[in-house]
Amino acid sequence: MLRLLVPALSLLPLLAAGAVLLVPSNRSNLIRGIVIGTTFLTLLFSLILVFNFDQSMSSFQFHTYIPWVSSLGISFHMGLDGIGVVMVLLHGILSFTGALVSRSINQKIKLYFVFYLLLVSSIFGVFTSLDLFFLYLFYEMSVIPLYPLIGIWGSQNREYASMKLTLYISLGAVLALVGLISVYAVSGLQTFDLLILQKASFPTPFQLWCAPLMIFGFGVIASLWPFHSWSPIGYAAAPTAVSMLHAGVLKKLGIFIIIRVVLTLLPEGAKFWLPVVVVLCIINILYGAWAAMAQKDMKFVIGFASVSHMGYAFLGMACLNELGLTGTVFFMFAHGIMAALCFALIGFIYDQTHTRMIPELGGLAKQIPFISVCFVMAAFASSGLPGFSNFVSELLIFFSAWELYRWPTILAIFGIVVTATYMLRMIRNVFFGELKSEWNKIEDARGFWGKLPYGLLVTVLLIFGIWPSLLLNIIRPTTESLIQSHFPTSQITADSTNLNKT
Amino acid sequence: MTQLGEVLKPIMMFGPELGLLFILILHLMFHLFSTIAPKNFIRSSVLGLLLVSVMLWLVFPYAGNGLYGMFRLNPLATFLKGLFTFSGIATLLMAGEFTEKLGDRANDFCLIVLTALFGSFFLASSNDLITLFVTIEWITISLYILTTFLKQDAASLEAGVKYLIVGAFSSALFLYGISFVYGSVGSLFFSEIRQVASAGTNSLLMVGFFLILAGIGFKVAMFPFHLWVPDVYEGAPTPTTAFLSVTSKTAGFTALLKLLFLAVGTEFVNWPYLLLFLSSITLIYGNLAALKQTNMKRLFACSSLSHIGYLLMGVAVANRLGVEATMYYLIAYAFSNSAAFLVIVIANRELGSGEILAYRGLAKKSPYLSGIFFIALLSLGGIPPLAGFFAKFLILNAVVTSGYLWLALIGAVNVVISLYYYLSIIKEMYFKQPTSKDKIGLSPSIRVFLFCLAAGIILLGIVQEPVLQMVRFSTSVLFR
Repeated sequence: MLRLLVPALSLLPLLAAGAVLLVPSNRSNLIRGIVIGTTFLTLLFSLILVFNFDQSMSSFQFHTYIPWVSSLGISFHMGLDGIGVVMVLLHGILSFTGALVSRSINQKIKLYFVFYLLLVSSIFGVFTSLDLFFLYLFYEMSVIPLYPLIGIWGSQNREYASMKLTLYISLGAVLALVGLISVYAVSGLQTFDLLILQKASFPTPFQLWCAPLMIFGFGVIASLWPFHSWSPIGYAAAPTAVSMLHAGVLKKLGIFIIIRVVLTLLPEGAKFWLPVVVVLCIINILYGAWAAMAQKDMKFVIGFASVSHMGYAFLGMACLNELGLTGTVFFMFAHGIMAALCFALIGFIYDQTHTRMIPELGGLAKQIPFISVCFVMAAFASSGLPGFSNFVSELLIFFSAWELYRWPTILAIFGIVVTATYMLRMIRNVFFGELKSEWNKIEDARGFWGKLPYGLLVTVLLIFGIWPSLLLNIIRPTTESLIQSHFPTSQITADSTNLNKT
Repeated sequence: MTQLGEVLKPIMMFGPELGLLFILILHLMFHLFSTIAPKNFIRSSVLGLLLVSVMLWLVFPYAGNGLYGMFRLNPLATFLKGLFTFSGIATLLMAGEFTEKLGDRANDFCLIVLTALFGSFFLASSNDLITLFVTIEWITISLYILTTFLKQDAASLEAGVKYLIVGAFSSALFLYGISFVYGSVGSLFFSEIRQVASAGTNSLLMVGFFLILAGIGFKVAMFPFHLWVPDVYEGAPTPTTAFLSVTSKTAGFTALLKLLFLAVGTEFVNWPYLLLFLSSITLIYGNLAALKQTNMKRLFACSSLSHIGYLLMGVAVANRLGVEATMYYLIAYAFSNSAAFLVIVIANRELGSGEILAYRGLAKKSPYLSGIFFIALLSLGGIPPLAGFFAKFLILNAVVTSGYLWLALIGAVNVVISLYYYLSIIKEMYFKQPTSKDKIGLSPSIRVFLFCLAAGIILLGIVQEPVLQMVRFSTSVLFR
């Protein structure tokens, strides 16, 4: 029975979207109720899946298999491994909090929530699909709702931002699609099933030209430099919940798919191209941090920060060892929660003040203490302070990269310092100092429902920061077996068990 | 494919054709001897076409020869007839929304559409070059009349004249090519041409083949024979444009498939290489030309060129996978384009303009109409889980599997280019505020039909297997 929960994660929001379409558009409370209820249920499902996940198994669990287009070898195959289940949990948390903070949307509510639910559904689909066709289908399906979501409900520059974002990600996607179809064609197995394809071996020359199509194609959505420029501007324009989901989960789709598809199918290609990615991701880290220093708009600061942070995820993955991969997955989870928290808080402040410009704000901590505390926590997490899950994951990544890429690691650690600089500076300028008179009237988050989304995210950050083995124990068997079966030579011996105590 | 029993043979063989002929004559009589309102006229002819499609469904599995071998019934022919009937129904319903402009000649318009449809049935069943030529002319001449239908409208007349000149030129090429083929083969039956073509190089046959290919190239608007498309699409009455872009294209591809796979075979003069090249040029040209368009119909004219590029790709790889992909694409395209044009007919009438800027804020004026347009545009742009996505997926799959990676990359990048102009329309409809507040009302029958089209677009993108099986079954006659 539990395995039915996996497809239900995608189907339930889809059905809810259909239900919302049928509700008259003036019944806005009913619509909100449906959406919050649905996302709560998917959060519940993902929690059930996490708790019932068998940590002793490294293979995929909770399989659902329905032959779809049997003549082409397409099947509706879903299942979760340790990486997938963690990402599902991340998405479950963020889609629920995203639905909660969508309160500030007050025009064309029905349409907004239809697109929101489509987005939620398709992202779950990407994390659970084990068939390359459906993986791509859900991936591209998750990009398209962003266009209207940003274009209709966005703020400044929304038309330009939404078009740029959609075209960039779609371009990456179609190039990756050619790569996926090539895998299908070259394997000669007449199947898109990932688990069967993983057993095939592909000729090295093919791997060498096919891997970059997918690494860079899917790298676009993870804002790999130089394909990142859609990202900060897209976040700045997007409504709060969309920024949250986008920075929190969508960006991780790229790295998630590279781990799941490229590393397992094209290991030779990955070995050849990932050192290139290391160079690019260091540019990501430094350039993103540099650009974030110069921003005045809070959303742009966080936007560039997330461009910068994705560099760490790429770095960990590029090490191609168990420690780095575990670190990357944990980092994706931690960063997802942290980035979403930042965007949620900025959204809250913007709804009250109608500005996101740092120089125009100041001293808000007196007026909105709860929000300020949450933001300070998020900033600490972002700067990699111990106690938050980001710290643990970054440490794992640096440990594994140190042996392999010494100089890039040193530069990446320097990036952390820059991050701390701009985050702390933003906190000082926004929350401390003189309270400007025009902000005397703004109000803090009130009541259980008001505080819930922010409180939930902070709690999650702290829980997994203090007790990282909760997640690491789920992730590690999968990454271990992935590395052992596909990269048997590149093992480095580091005893990662000690890290759990930090 | 089952061979028909002796008794049933003539009835089953020509059943759909006879049914259509009966409907045609019946409506001609109605029109001559009574005054019948266009609405009812259209309703009854749509009903008739639905009956015809039931008959098509019944004869689908059967095969047979008739009219001394000139008429060939097989699943492919029946399948194409179904596609023609579908687009005929869509065109008739569009004409029903266009009656204000057509005035008291709306019934004539419908009769000519039915006539063209009758011709296309014989095209689908043609088994020799002369039938192929005559039926293509049949359809084209009907289209000349439909294009110039608005006699007071200079644009319509100009489009008609352009189409007439280009069409006559291409027909001349076609006919000239046929004469070469007859000279070298001594027969015009596909099977006999095939024998001579596979025997070895034959320069006379080669000249004939290229002339015929050029002639058909004009009909399907393949580069470099595409220049008439934007002007004719823009000037023609909108239902005619839809008919041009779906029926005429399907007809052209029917002729192309018959010429390439039945008459000469894939080995002849390496035509796949020529088509691979032309398909990529057509695709790129259409997409780049569409980027700058400000008129909706002109934009669709250019974008239809890009779709021709994809369709040609499937033909050019010259194998089963490719032809199946092309057929699936034709279906997906018929659904998406019919939905889009139905919206355009209604919106142009209500907004009083065919410029893209006039669609500003359409979502406020009619959420239903813009919702359908949204789905149709995304399907044309190739976004999952819609019909257009799976069609493009099949095309790319066929191209990659056949080993033409460069072509697949061109095809993939062009998806994004086309996405730009399709999304720009969505931007006008959804992101901008309308200039006036008046709502657009829709009649229930149009609502239902639009809903069916949208449902079809979504189903074709999600439940692909049944249609794919049908496509596979019908195209198998081309490969034996």
